[in-house]
Amino acid sequence: MVKYIVIIALSVSGLYCQDAYERHCVECHKELPTSLQEMFKRYLLVYSGEQNVKAGLKHYLKYPLKEISVMDDLFLENYGVKEKTTLSDSDIDEALDIYWDKFKVFNKLK
Amino acid sequence: MLKSEKKSLFRFLALYTMMVIFMIMLLSLFYYQSQEKLMLSDQRAMLTKYAYIHTKRLKVLHHYFDERREYPRDPRFKSAIYDLEYMKIFSLLEEQNVRFDEEIYIINNHIHLVKTLDEFYLGAKYLVVEVKDSGAWRGEIWKNIIGYGFLALMFFMLFGLYFAKMFLKPMRDSIVLLDKFIKDTTHELNTPLSAILANIEMMDTEVMGEKNKTKLARINIAAKTVSVLYRDLTYLTLDHEKGNQDETIALKELIYDRTEYFSVLALSKHLECNLDLEEASITMDRRKFTRVIDNLISNAIKYNKRNGMVGITLREGMLLIWDTGIGIKEENIPFVFDRYIRFNETEGGFGVGLSIVKQILDEYHISIEVQSKEAEGTRMVLRW
Repeated sequence: MVKYIVIIALSVSGLYCQDAYERHCVECHKELPTSLQEMFKRYLLVYSGEQNVKAGLKHYLKYPLKEISVMDDLFLENYGVKEKTTLSDSDIDEALDIYWDKFKVFNKLK
Repeated sequence: MLKSEKKSLFRFLALYTMMVIFMIMLLSLFYYQSQEKLMLSDQRAMLTKYAYIHTKRLKVLHHYFDERREYPRDPRFKSAIYDLEYMKIFSLLEEQNVRFDEEIYIINNHIHLVKTLDEFYLGAKYLVVEVKDSGAWRGEIWKNIIGYGFLALMFFMLFGLYFAKMFLKPMRDSIVLLDKFIKDTTHELNTPLSAILANIEMMDTEVMGEKNKTKLARINIAAKTVSVLYRDLTYLTLDHEKGNQDETIALKELIYDRTEYFSVLALSKHLECNLDLEEASITMDRRKFTRVIDNLISNAIKYNKRNGMVGITLREGMLLIWDTGIGIKEENIPFVFDRYIRFNETEGGFGVGLSIVKQILDEYHISIEVQSKEAEGTRMVLRW
């Protein structure tokens, strides 16, 4: 009994140790051949600025459509368009903030 | 050239010069701007080529960003990238102040070309390419502006001078005509006036009846008034060109002498004379000082009321002549010394008296102050 409690507690605490980005994004994307960094570059290429990128991403998460996807046709043919997100706005914003901070170009160039 | 003509010419030329300078400055500004645009259009081709090369490098960096982080550099130019929200992503610019509202511009000796990218490599929407501006083109432009500007100024000034003289000619002609008329009239006045005055002096008044004595006094007044006018006109047209014969004048005696001369005039208006004279002297041409005194006293009498008062106060370095006459309007006071200016047409004259007074006083650096109140009187204060 004690063993089970410890296992459950560890898994729950492990889950909550992860941030919103890891919880809501990494989990699904790790199975895809295109990395999240690669996808971030595609968003940069299309949307440029921080607010624009975040707004574009948020819109796609809420209303996914083949026509507005930044991914190429081959990718979409193989993996399709993602499903509409069930996350709340605040969860999306939190995850996007972390995503931006992780892959942004600012202060990374020499 | 006459003083008034000179004044008008000077005013016209001052205004004209200002306008010409303003026009030349405006043209220079347009010229400078057009030359700057020409230079920038020359630079634009080169900078666009650099921007094209740099975009290719950014594209490569964008694709290999996971492995490479080194921003591409080129010895020929400096560059920077900005995102859609004008946030600086990376910059190698020497002049960090970037304007996004112009495609190409000069700022602090640097030329910036702001290129909008079609694809936002590394999130960059704007690529800024910078080269140093040597400023050599500016030297050439300034040389042209100064050279041609000076030539244009000279040309317009000569043109203006010619026009000014042409416009002033009618005024000059009328003044010359008036002067000529006065000169001719003066000559004609001399002989009859001398004859009248001499004969009045010679007349034996003791054998005359009272009525005739009064008539003679009137003739005397009239002749003396004309005599003052005659002397003013003579001074104006002939005498003032002669050299000065300066001497130390005992003013008390001279003023007594001149008041005596005008006493008949004062008596005719029943004026009371108030003389407060102390010993004083001045070094100047007696003839000229007499003109000053004569004009001021005769004005004080002429423009006085019947039974009024005329006063003369003399101190060392100061002479005051006052009256209880009709006075001068405040707004007219600055113009009392202008030639041919008369504010009261009831008395005879050409309006030259005070102009002569001022001319003489200015020559000897004597100040004159006019204090006057309409209907109350006038005070003329001379200080030396």
